[in-house]
Amino acid sequence: MTTSKHLNLVPPVVEADHVEELVQSGRTTAACFSPYNKSLAVFLPPNPGSQLQGGSGEQDIYFASSEAQPSSERRLFISDTSIIFAAFQNFLRVSSTPENEWSQRDDSVRTIRKLATDYVNFTKECWIHASQATKENQSSLQFTGDHYRTLYTCLSLFVVLYVPDSGLEDAPVGDELMEWLNMHFIEPSTEEGDHLSSLEKPWEDETFWPYLLRATMRGLVKAATFFLEALSRHPSNYLRRLSSQLIPLLSDQPHLQNFAAERDFAHASRRWREKVKAMRVELTNVPESDRRDEYENWWDRLSSIVGILEGRTEVIEKVCDELGADWKELSVAWGVFADFRLRRQDLPDVVAQIVDDVPPDPTDMEDMVHASLFGGDPMKALSYASQLDPWLAAHMADIMQSLGLIDREPVEDTGLTVRDSYMLAYAEYLHSDAALWRLTAAYMFSCGEVGVQCADEVLLRVPLRLGVPQQSAGEDVTGVLTDTLRDVNAICFEYQREEVRRSVCKIAAQELMQKKEYGLAISYCSSAEDWPGLGRVVDRVLDEYIISGPENFTKYVSGIAPSLQVLNTASAAQGVFIYRLMFAVRYAEFHQRMSCQDLQEAAWDLVSIFQEETAPKSWWGVLLLDALGLLEHKAALLFSYPSACLLLRRLEEVFTRSQHGSGDDYLRMLNRKAHSTPEAALNQLQAVRLALARYFARCTMIGTGGKQFMGRRSEIPA
Amino acid sequence: MIQTGLIQSAHNDLVTDVSYDFYGLRLATCGLDQRIKVWQIDETNGTWRVEDDWKAHDAAISRLSWAHPEFGTIIASASFDRTIKVWEQTAGEIAAQPNGSASSPAGGSSSTRWVERASLVDARGTVRAVEFAPRHFGLKLASISSDNHLRVYECLEQTSLATWQLAEEVDVLRLPSSSSPSSHSVAFATPTQTHATLEGASASLVAQAIQQSQAPPAPAPSGQLAARPGLGNREADGGWALAWCKERYWGEVLAVGAGTGGAVKIVQLSSSRRPTTLLTLDPAPPLLLPSSASDSGAAGASGGTPGGAAAEDTSGRSAITSIAWAPSCGRSYHLIATGGRDGRVRIWKLAPPADSDAGLGLGLGGEMDVDGSELGGGEPRWSGSVVAEFDQHKSAVGRVEWNITGTLLSSAGNDGRVRLWKASVGNVWKPAGSIGVEQGEDAADDVDMDGHPASN
Repeated sequence: MTTSKHLNLVPPVVEADHVEELVQSGRTTAACFSPYNKSLAVFLPPNPGSQLQGGSGEQDIYFASSEAQPSSERRLFISDTSIIFAAFQNFLRVSSTPENEWSQRDDSVRTIRKLATDYVNFTKECWIHASQATKENQSSLQFTGDHYRTLYTCLSLFVVLYVPDSGLEDAPVGDELMEWLNMHFIEPSTEEGDHLSSLEKPWEDETFWPYLLRATMRGLVKAATFFLEALSRHPSNYLRRLSSQLIPLLSDQPHLQNFAAERDFAHASRRWREKVKAMRVELTNVPESDRRDEYENWWDRLSSIVGILEGRTEVIEKVCDELGADWKELSVAWGVFADFRLRRQDLPDVVAQIVDDVPPDPTDMEDMVHASLFGGDPMKALSYASQLDPWLAAHMADIMQSLGLIDREPVEDTGLTVRDSYMLAYAEYLHSDAALWRLTAAYMFSCGEVGVQCADEVLLRVPLRLGVPQQSAGEDVTGVLTDTLRDVNAICFEYQREEVRRSVCKIAAQELMQKKEYGLAISYCSSAEDWPGLGRVVDRVLDEYIISGPENFTKYVSGIAPSLQVLNTASAAQGVFIYRLMFAVRYAEFHQRMSCQDLQEAAWDLVSIFQEETAPKSWWGVLLLDALGLLEHKAALLFSYPSACLLLRRLEEVFTRSQHGSGDDYLRMLNRKAHSTPEAALNQLQAVRLALARYFARCTMIGTGGKQFMGRRSEIPA
Repeated sequence: MIQTGLIQSAHNDLVTDVSYDFYGLRLATCGLDQRIKVWQIDETNGTWRVEDDWKAHDAAISRLSWAHPEFGTIIASASFDRTIKVWEQTAGEIAAQPNGSASSPAGGSSSTRWVERASLVDARGTVRAVEFAPRHFGLKLASISSDNHLRVYECLEQTSLATWQLAEEVDVLRLPSSSSPSSHSVAFATPTQTHATLEGASASLVAQAIQQSQAPPAPAPSGQLAARPGLGNREADGGWALAWCKERYWGEVLAVGAGTGGAVKIVQLSSSRRPTTLLTLDPAPPLLLPSSASDSGAAGASGGTPGGAAAEDTSGRSAITSIAWAPSCGRSYHLIATGGRDGRVRIWKLAPPADSDAGLGLGLGGEMDVDGSELGGGEPRWSGSVVAEFDQHKSAVGRVEWNITGTLLSSAGNDGRVRLWKASVGNVWKPAGSIGVEQGEDAADDVDMDGHPASN
């Protein structure tokens, strides 16, 4: 599946083989990785060593990726096999608990085999699906059916050799290998068989004997006996007799699956061999002169067939050579005929000899994977598999590690096991498609500490897409969470990545604040326990008052007010920032009453804000100026005498501190609101002072002052 | 390798930097045209659309950096006009612009606008690199300029972004440095001559840029700028680069390279003391101590330079142009990639001191230990070694960059190639593809746009 290693970008910048022109034109190359997927932005910055000084005209920016992102059937394949992967991870988690470790070893192997077989079956399905696609559909496939076929052959061979059925680990493997070979590499072809069976005298056809030999070597009893029966019409008496004797011999060859114990199988095989030997005697008794018909030396051919059955290695080799069979066919025939008790662990030695003479095709990764698996070298198999498809290497390594076929200890240098390395490589391939972030993270999370932290990086960078719909503030907060944000949170929770979760919440809060979704922003700040961040959101809300006035301000505060209640009940250490939130809420209440002309309540609000000391000093100027209108209200005296005194004390503090140069602490917001200087702000406050003086005068005129005031709430005692 | 996109005519002059935002959904670009553009990807079809475009500086812009999104949508730009500017994207309708220096609104119907929040003017040379610190250190940025000074700024008020305190300002070349022999692996004892000559470096772009924008020479505190011959080319010959250590555990640590030498210093910042050099990564350490370097025996790439200054290769042939610190992602060591004028891409492996091993030098499997001798014997030491070196570019390397997990490295050079590097399962770094800008010999062979499996 490897795409070409080198890419020339389009449109090209220089002619082929004239790369020096790039530097001559004052440019060089540069690239930058996208965190979104595996792509790179490539551009041509100035080469500092050049004489060029701008004026290069319009410049392009290119984007390239080392991998095509998974599409169409490939995506389906990836997501469907990930379910098996998840089941496998789950199984490993459960079985790795101490009480389960040894007691259920057989069960474990059985489960592993079942899951491995699931992979095999799935690749098979995918192969069939992709192969059956119509011509038009073919072009929409990212990978051809043949690619999935290679995965299928490799995985199924792996299962045959390394994940045998329980109890068969130490049993002869020949028959199983033959079954694998016949399933994936069909020889002789059906067409040849059809052609020969249509002939009256098939032995006259030059493909007849090769067909028969191959059918024998592949253990295809039906096909072989069919044509042996056809020889009953052959003119030679000898051949007619011999072929009819051969038929029961072929069909009676013992196969392991038909025996309950290997001992019985071995016994039967030996007895069968005796019969083959008898056949050889018969064969040698045929006079030299009768061994040919007019087309062939049939005797030689028949002798080869008997030779195969006798398990003569030189005959098997010769036949394979004549038929153009590869190392696989030779190795498998070896295991069925030459050494019918050949075990898995002995196979590598045999194969090593065979590939010396008949090597696998080094350009064919599938063949190399097969050869490495036959050769008992899982590491090499993984290496070739990774070139075939990172999916194959990752999933095979996963099973290999669980079976102890590859080292479970991390390589000291990298902290990664072999399995983890291939798994991460696959996860990185998945990362070429940003939409597959869940799978990318899931695969990474299975790879130790390094994998976990790689997954962190991926999770942190999942775009949150907080396209919050405009709606009235104060609605159910969870109602507007985006799916993505919820998913990221859930996954962080599942894998206990609290720091990542908090960071994601902080980012979400920041984004929501930009979108003026202050209520949501605050709930994310508190979810991240980011109290300074919460303070900044409140500041931003308060800014709304400065920038766009009380109306918008109260609207936004109504969005954040519910969170105050939530935060008040939760007793986390929220500190000073919660006071700022309280202030914003109280101040909004004040403006709400002002807009409803509920002046008496508004006055009380204002006083209690001062009284409870929730107002930041920087806001005092603004608050005092707000008092101005209330103080000058003609219809009634809205402040009690002590309340008015409180206002006066605050006002005096502002004036005194301003004289000592800290006026900005008290007047900053007023300055911003009025776009004025501190001096102008102080002038404005002089008006408040005057209003207060008049107010006290009015209080005095009325006398005791008690009647006009309504005692309320926490009115300070006089 | 496949081509996945193209922005045609992104800028009207050479593009000097492109930088993805945290998610890779936006791209900030800048160029000699003194403008910054912010592009947004259309995820449905992978095309890029310009979102904002404004003139940001009075000279070419050298680098851009995005702040972590926890702090908002913020970009810092470094320029040859000797300033760093901090830009914030705000909602379009905000009327008040605290500094009264709002950028011109982006072309088109954009509803967002970037506002200049701060202009940092301390540099006495062109600012060559800027990078925001990892988020856990707060809203901070580091810069390196051609006056060889590393400057670290800290934002004092995140709400307004207006106040930036110059938290550190140090001459990188004068930082207390580790004694020689410096870190190197045995394989690099023999320096290699490369093709990395500077074609026509006589009056370079940057030299001209600086001459144009130059105020009377700043009273360089070190005096070394003025004292050096060939000052005019210094801007062109040198390399200035920095990269933050992404991990929190070790505190604020940076890799910095400055000037014409090929050494990279690993600098630790601390609020309680002056910055210190933890380690110097020098592929070709002087064979002689700096004090006796006058006989030009200084090793390797600096050979043949007349009047070579102490411990510094004045030819600039080994100058470091780019440094990238890989995210550590759970590894027990750090990876730093450097690219230089010597045409080499190097991957350094840094092993922090083991907790239990304070005070003991940590040799890594027979590699030479780096002696942070300035720190005295009592402190734990860092060690470093080159784990990979590539000379495939055969010409100056201008840029190195890691992917987000530190598993894939890209390098780009004057050979018109972007090359990718990746560690094998046996942890050996190997080429992993390349991208060129030449006319393809046979486009169909080179570009496998559909990603169909190659024939087999």
